[in-house]
Amino acid sequence: MEASYLKEQLQAKEDMLAQTTRFLVQMQNDLEEKNKELSLVNKDIFDSISFASLIQKSLLPDTDILKIFFKDASFRVMQQLGIGGDTIFIKNTNKGVVFGLLDSTGHGIPAALLSISGTLLLKELMTSMEIDNPQTLLNLLNFQLHKTFNNSKSSIAHKEGIIFSYCSTKNTLTYSSAKGKALLLKATGEINELPNSKLSIGDEPNAAFELFEISISPGDKLIMYSDGLTDQFGGDNNKKFSRERLKKLLSNKSGETASDIVKAVEEEFARWKGINGQTDDASFMILEF
Amino acid sequence: MTTINFKGYEFTLENKGPFSSLYFNKQLKMAICFADEEYIPIDNFKEMFLHISGMIEKLEVKHLIFDKQKLRTFHQPSMEWYFAVWKPEMKNKGLVNHYKILPKLDWFEKAVEAGKYEIFQKFSKEILNGITITYVNSVEEAIEDIS
Repeated sequence: MEASYLKEQLQAKEDMLAQTTRFLVQMQNDLEEKNKELSLVNKDIFDSISFASLIQKSLLPDTDILKIFFKDASFRVMQQLGIGGDTIFIKNTNKGVVFGLLDSTGHGIPAALLSISGTLLLKELMTSMEIDNPQTLLNLLNFQLHKTFNNSKSSIAHKEGIIFSYCSTKNTLTYSSAKGKALLLKATGEINELPNSKLSIGDEPNAAFELFEISISPGDKLIMYSDGLTDQFGGDNNKKFSRERLKKLLSNKSGETASDIVKAVEEEFARWKGINGQTDDASFMILEF
Repeated sequence: MTTINFKGYEFTLENKGPFSSLYFNKQLKMAICFADEEYIPIDNFKEMFLHISGMIEKLEVKHLIFDKQKLRTFHQPSMEWYFAVWKPEMKNKGLVNHYKILPKLDWFEKAVEAGKYEIFQKFSKEILNGITITYVNSVEEAIEDIS
């Protein structure tokens, strides 16, 4: 009895081992198959985003064209996922040049769609309707964005940003801002934040954004950036990069060229980020008058 | 009369075989089957479950706990018989819940998963319909579940 019991148990153990092995092999094969499928899907998505990134980048202004209007110019747009919500635009007008930086909420594909639709709308307003007043442009962009995306059925699209108009003969900058971030860096290293509105684009259909005007001197540098730059987490204590760190860095670089300053900001941003993922789309533009 | 207590409920020994013991509590309408050895041969396994069938009919058992913590060998033909023959009949006789307590061994759990996978390949997942099977960590957990 005891021997037959042990013999039967041994056989059952062998069967159990064989069955479990078959199961694990089957699971491994299934996982390999799923892995292949995921790799193909991943490649399709990656290829699609890479191509979409090229399309979005092609909508950005050429630095050489910026240098027609400004003494020096450089910028960097670092979308978190290759494509994203940050954009920079420029358009020459009868009186000078209109330009700005816009940051759509979120990141990735939805933000890119909002970003492109906003840019195209602005270009339409500036080209077909010949509007060059930053305040009017921002008010109309706000109204249209709210009407299209944030109506009674949905509230999905918001932007922050700043739009400037520059008249070189008067040496004045007029601008209108919706939480847009901009700094004016003097040749001496003095740096000032430009006042802005606390309203986002798309929040209120009839929001009236203020129009500001500032005088500029030759050698002054205008810096625009999105909050993805200063909100980046990193450093030894995983804190935000911060506006103060950016201002200090810029003050120390006031005598350098626009492209050298952009490079320095980009390097400091990467150093700060370290092994952390990029928090948001981050953009930075510098124009020297 | 041999009895054991769980959460204040007294369970009376109904059957003691060479590889398992069977207890019952009338108030809870619950039976507990303990595996007493590392392995239960299929004939003894069937004998034990047929005894449980009788209890389900005569004593109106609604809840069954099978404590397999002492088992170290999983026997696929026994499991197939349980799923394909015994369990469908017990649904009609009034059994509602079947709680199972497995040994705290990863390899044993994986062996059970492998066994169920082959059964579902053979009979389809429809075989699970009817009695609710729940894996618990202790007899007390099963009693709490029905209380």
